[in-house]
Amino acid sequence: MNDTLGIIMTGFGDEALGELTRVRARAALPVCGRYRLIDFILSNMVNSGIINVGVPTTSHYRSLMDHLGSGKEWDLSRKLYGLFILPPYLIPGAGLGNSGDIDILNGILDYLERSKQRYVLLSGCDAVYNTDFYALRAFHEASGADITVLTTDSEAYLSSPDRVQFDVGPDGRAADVMLGVNTFSSRRSSMGVYFLEKELLCRCIARCVSRGRHDFVRDVLLHSTDELRVFTFPFQGHVGLIDSLPAYYRESMRLLDPAVYARVFDRRTPIYTKVKDQIPTIYGPRACVKNSIIADGCRIDGTVENSILFRGARIAESAVVTDSIVMQNSRIGEEVTIDCTILDKNVSVTEGKLLAGQSSYPVVIGKNASV
Amino acid sequence: MRQSDCIAMILAGGQGSRLGALTRTLAKPAVPFGGKYRIIDFALSNCANSGITTVGVLTQYQPLELNTYIGSGLPWDMDRLNGGAFILPPYVKGKSGEWYKGTANAIYQNKQFLDQFDARRILILSGDHIYKMDYRDMLRRHEETGAVLTIAVIDVPLSEAPRYGILSADRNGRIFAFEEKPEHPASTLASMGIYIFDRDVLMRYLEADENDPGSTNDFGHDVIPAMLADGCPIFAYTFSGYWKDVGTIQSLWAANMDLISGALDLNDDSWRIYSRHVDLPPQTLAPTASLRSSAVTEGCSVAGTVENSVLFSGVTVEEGAVVRDSIVLPMTVVRRGAVVDRAVISHDAEIGENVTVGCGDPNVPLPPDPLCTDGLTLIADGVTLRGNVRIGRGVTVTRSVETWAEGEEELLQRAARRPKGEDAL
Repeated sequence: MNDTLGIIMTGFGDEALGELTRVRARAALPVCGRYRLIDFILSNMVNSGIINVGVPTTSHYRSLMDHLGSGKEWDLSRKLYGLFILPPYLIPGAGLGNSGDIDILNGILDYLERSKQRYVLLSGCDAVYNTDFYALRAFHEASGADITVLTTDSEAYLSSPDRVQFDVGPDGRAADVMLGVNTFSSRRSSMGVYFLEKELLCRCIARCVSRGRHDFVRDVLLHSTDELRVFTFPFQGHVGLIDSLPAYYRESMRLLDPAVYARVFDRRTPIYTKVKDQIPTIYGPRACVKNSIIADGCRIDGTVENSILFRGARIAESAVVTDSIVMQNSRIGEEVTIDCTILDKNVSVTEGKLLAGQSSYPVVIGKNASV
Repeated sequence: MRQSDCIAMILAGGQGSRLGALTRTLAKPAVPFGGKYRIIDFALSNCANSGITTVGVLTQYQPLELNTYIGSGLPWDMDRLNGGAFILPPYVKGKSGEWYKGTANAIYQNKQFLDQFDARRILILSGDHIYKMDYRDMLRRHEETGAVLTIAVIDVPLSEAPRYGILSADRNGRIFAFEEKPEHPASTLASMGIYIFDRDVLMRYLEADENDPGSTNDFGHDVIPAMLADGCPIFAYTFSGYWKDVGTIQSLWAANMDLISGALDLNDDSWRIYSRHVDLPPQTLAPTASLRSSAVTEGCSVAGTVENSVLFSGVTVEEGAVVRDSIVLPMTVVRRGAVVDRAVISHDAEIGENVTVGCGDPNVPLPPDPLCTDGLTLIADGVTLRGNVRIGRGVTVTRSVETWAEGEEELLQRAARRPKGEDAL
């Protein structure tokens, strides 16, 4: 699909993740031991043969830029095309204002126009899933669609407050589309992934800008079914929507299910990420680790159950970690018990502490904190 | 240091025949080590961390895997505009052209490469040692002493000295005698096979060595003794720290175990060991898993019991299986109920259900063996073992065994098979 340009929108809806997105964009949210959320959509694009990917950013994007670097880990450090991080285009004197994704896209018109690709795959960055887009693209061409939207019947999407649902005919064509309601029997909720011709996207942007409109869903998609041939393409695999802190915890824990893990980390379509050159994880003589996902570079001497440890986590011998997420380089001291807790990066929990949350609402300890 | 002041040449052509079946399809420097590394990662990472970014890797034996592995040198930050990593196989020159005859000849045949970079100093390394070393210190020593050759040395126990090239130095560190594998060592200073030469002197001696029909074209046997005889200033640089020549199955196994015990500490942010990375997800441990005193890396999936072992990338240990005191190389599967004890299992092997590897009484001494000393059992790459097969201690298995007749078990005990003069199944 080297005739397709990938655009990954970042920085929208980040507030819902609270403490975890205080220091970073949601796209840079650490997920599953060694990944950032953007790795999934980026790898999906790369595994579909897309060689030109633009990542517009809005705010606190240092962490994201640091992660993506030149794009070489995704094989996107290329002479021709590759990965483009596109910071907000600010006109001197004018701030970002109440801009929406349309304004961000308008700010990268240069990049869109300069890219020779015929199609655009436009996506957000809010989900853990593994797929390629070849079937979506074939469907788009065969159906003669103007816009093809990737949809899912996953409960998390069907019940999300921002759900966009389609009334779909037997051929997949959307007769109607609505926001935030469940009126239709089709059970097709948008995953926020759109396939369309670049020229059409540019026309939509120009039209919105000239009428002072800002939002792709509200101002384009919701009014499109009469004028355009909008089709939906159902994604059948596992998708984990991360649109809130409880959702982050829930979707992380679902990866402990071997069947879910096998679908997300399908060996045929690897998920790429920044390489950290950590050593293997060392298990001490008294370690007791069960039902967990462990990244490299950890040192585990204590007890860990139903948990996810990121790179470089350290668990002391008499510590007990259950149903928790411990991010990069965090340290759990002796006699510490943590349960249903998320520790952000570089957190240190010193001797004897007890931290416990609830599985419906875990405790979160912010980056670099010392407890 | 200017970038072209010193370039490194890594001798990576060795077969490593004492590693037996581990090197049947790859050169010794490409042998996996420590869960996610290859042996050559140590020399390459030491170069990268020492700021040496022009590195020639001299390959000869089974170079394909090594070539692919090194590629552009990207994992070691050696994909450079100027310099970088270069694979240097022997090649045909005009009407002549020959294999690398010895270590000295290998460097000599790459004279053109050395001239091209015009470096004053040449660092010569072997690609088969496990150690962390800052070559900048050694270069400084080389400059301070005014040596034309500096040899890195390490103090070894007297009993082990006959295995090494042994140097004798005065109290300033100037070397006055060098003996390859002496029966009666005069000192305990062993050469680590790490040399810094002044290029002009090196080239002069390599030229002379080339014209000597009696020479074996080896640094230790020929070039260094010739330089000593001429009174060249040669100094020792004493290294203290972890250093291991993983030339045998036993030493390879032991060095891997050092990673677990902490004797070999690689968790050092100031001195990372880099490796070419395969994109595998984090390791998963099932509710039935039990891991103690082990090192486990990405892509592994453990549902059984693992003790005092190193599992390499993508290894699977199923429920009810036991892996003890062993190293299991990438992508190998240990099926339900299998037992692996004191073994080295190569990559892409399958230890089938209820198979036992390394059975037999550990107190019964085994006859001496050039490969599997210390009773270790070796399973070669791609081998599949099925159907209640029991592999005895110290046996090397190089082909799959899937059918199994009654009474054949004894065939797999090395002690019993010894009289037939066969070592390997």
